[in-house]
Amino acid sequence: MNWLQTIRMAFKSIANNKVRSFLTMLGIIIGVGSVIALVASIQGMATLSRLQYEAMGTNQISISGWNLKSADWVALEKALDKDLSDRIKGWSPQSRYYDWQSKGVQYRGKLLSDDKYRTNIYFGNEDYSMVTNQTLAFGRDISPLDIKYSSRVCVIGDALRRYFFGAMSPIGQKIYIGGKSFEIIGAYKPKFGGKLNSDDQMIVLPYTVQPTMMEVTPFDDHDYFVQAKTKEDIDPLVDAINQLMEPRKGEDGYFRCDSNAQFQEQMEASSNQLALLGGGVAAISLLVGGIGIMNIMLVSVTERTREIGIRMAIGARRRDIIGQFLIESAAVSCCGGLIGIILGCFGSATIGNMLLAQQMHGSSGWMPDVEQFTVLPSVPLVLGAFLFSALLGIIFGLYPANKASKLQPVDALRTQ
Amino acid sequence: MFFHRKEPAAPTAGDASLLIDVQHLSKIYHEGKENEVRALDDISLSVPWGQFLCILGQSGSGKSTLMNILGCLDIPTYGIYRLGGQAVSDMKPSTLSGIRNREIGFIFQGFNLIPTLTAIENVELPLIYRGMPRAERHALSIAALEQVGLGHRLNHRPSEMSGGQQQRVAIARAVAAKPPIIMADEPTGNLDSASGREIMEQLSALNREGTSIILITHDNHLAQMAERIVTIQDGHIVSDALGQGGLNEQ
Repeated sequence: MNWLQTIRMAFKSIANNKVRSFLTMLGIIIGVGSVIALVASIQGMATLSRLQYEAMGTNQISISGWNLKSADWVALEKALDKDLSDRIKGWSPQSRYYDWQSKGVQYRGKLLSDDKYRTNIYFGNEDYSMVTNQTLAFGRDISPLDIKYSSRVCVIGDALRRYFFGAMSPIGQKIYIGGKSFEIIGAYKPKFGGKLNSDDQMIVLPYTVQPTMMEVTPFDDHDYFVQAKTKEDIDPLVDAINQLMEPRKGEDGYFRCDSNAQFQEQMEASSNQLALLGGGVAAISLLVGGIGIMNIMLVSVTERTREIGIRMAIGARRRDIIGQFLIESAAVSCCGGLIGIILGCFGSATIGNMLLAQQMHGSSGWMPDVEQFTVLPSVPLVLGAFLFSALLGIIFGLYPANKASKLQPVDALRTQ
Repeated sequence: MFFHRKEPAAPTAGDASLLIDVQHLSKIYHEGKENEVRALDDISLSVPWGQFLCILGQSGSGKSTLMNILGCLDIPTYGIYRLGGQAVSDMKPSTLSGIRNREIGFIFQGFNLIPTLTAIENVELPLIYRGMPRAERHALSIAALEQVGLGHRLNHRPSEMSGGQQQRVAIARAVAAKPPIIMADEPTGNLDSASGREIMEQLSALNREGTSIILITHDNHLAQMAERIVTIQDGHIVSDALGQGGLNEQ
């Protein structure tokens, strides 16, 4: 007996019992739908955090500390330039400028005060753009000469550029930061959504101008970004830097050097665990759905005993009967699986967007465009869910199908 | 008379010239218990190819049990049954399925059509189990339905047809692949007399074409259309006589 014919017959019998078939499928629909929605949203969140990590810059190591002697920081910079340079692609200070707020950022009398929108001002060197994964849209970067001569120049973020200059070129214009004038030499492409109050509202100054800006607070807070050449260089670098600096920090000092790769790995591991847990809970509901299928198939075998008898009388072998009921239960669970996959896709998109919105609300960090970032289940997840539901149908169809095939034709025919 | 039960004889090479060769066949339910029922008790019967045989008996006589065994739907408790020279009693269920599928066409009192399938799908079903290609089985099924005068009812379900029409679908299903034997168990039992006559005429026509027919009935009048009438009572053959059908034929 050919399979196509059996499958057609199976769908026919599903169609003949629409309500019952649907109710039977419901368990599978809910099971598959929730597995997919849960796992996909968790995977989506993991993807989001990976994208955020990549946007920060790959192979990045961050260093921060305070209450250390200047000589210690000089030693660190020397080590980065000499001893460790084999493993380093680039490094830059990334110190924040805290004192400017009172006077804000001004361009031709237009003031961007700190009341509503916070401008982040960083002191960096010629590697700053590279280690923070920024790209220039206009002009040029800070050069080694700017560093050497402490030039009063700056590179600005996209949101700030648009706020002050709109369609005008910002290059060569002067803005006032904390009351001091700086010439704009470049502007970055948007990276954090291009909105005010995000890190696209930023200014980078040569770090060598830092001492001239610090009038009120004695500056003792140091931050650096280091970009390792390869992923393998990260751990040795972190170890070497810690070894160098730990003994120097003293009792009051604070020093920390770590890479966000570790953080990322932890994030991934925990989201995988979460996906496994969520998937496991949903798999239990799939199991319940499977038992529902078995139950209804047993009813169906009893109801159709006479039909089974007729089929046997006209030549159906045991395996034909087994095949018929197995395919029927697999068809029910596959249909349920398909509907569940569709619902799961909608569900994961909805849950994903909700989580995304929540994250965006709570952070000013890098965010993908909502239009670009839709949480959808991965192909292996969808295929896996579908195959699993088919398998479930077959496993839970086995007992009823076997029961049907063991009927004696003469007994089955006698049933009314 | 209840003590002459025979142990099954050793299988011997069958006589292929006989369609049916039954020796000392018994079917006993609940054997050895208080409610033991001997539906068939030591029946021996041979039927040559091409005969129109009627098994006549009142209800409870064992005639349906006999047909179930002859039709390979049931297995005897004791005795030997050879169909076309092959001992059926020793066969595996899957081989029996094959025999029912290829050698025997069944017509039942209750029609036994599958209610969810259309006329043509019902007729096609045994051909599907045989593994016949789609086009071929479709053509055979249409031909069979046209032969019974239902060429215009191909896509009707059993519930949309009269009893006579349903029985004709069942006949089409039984004859579509031209099996050598047709077994009909009270084929007219649920029909009015006109439809019943029609069915019987179709059986006679099939017999004239060379198909062996085994008709099971309680209706003495109907039995007269057969060539040979075997009467069963309480599980025993009580008479074996010629019918009108045979006389008309010769």
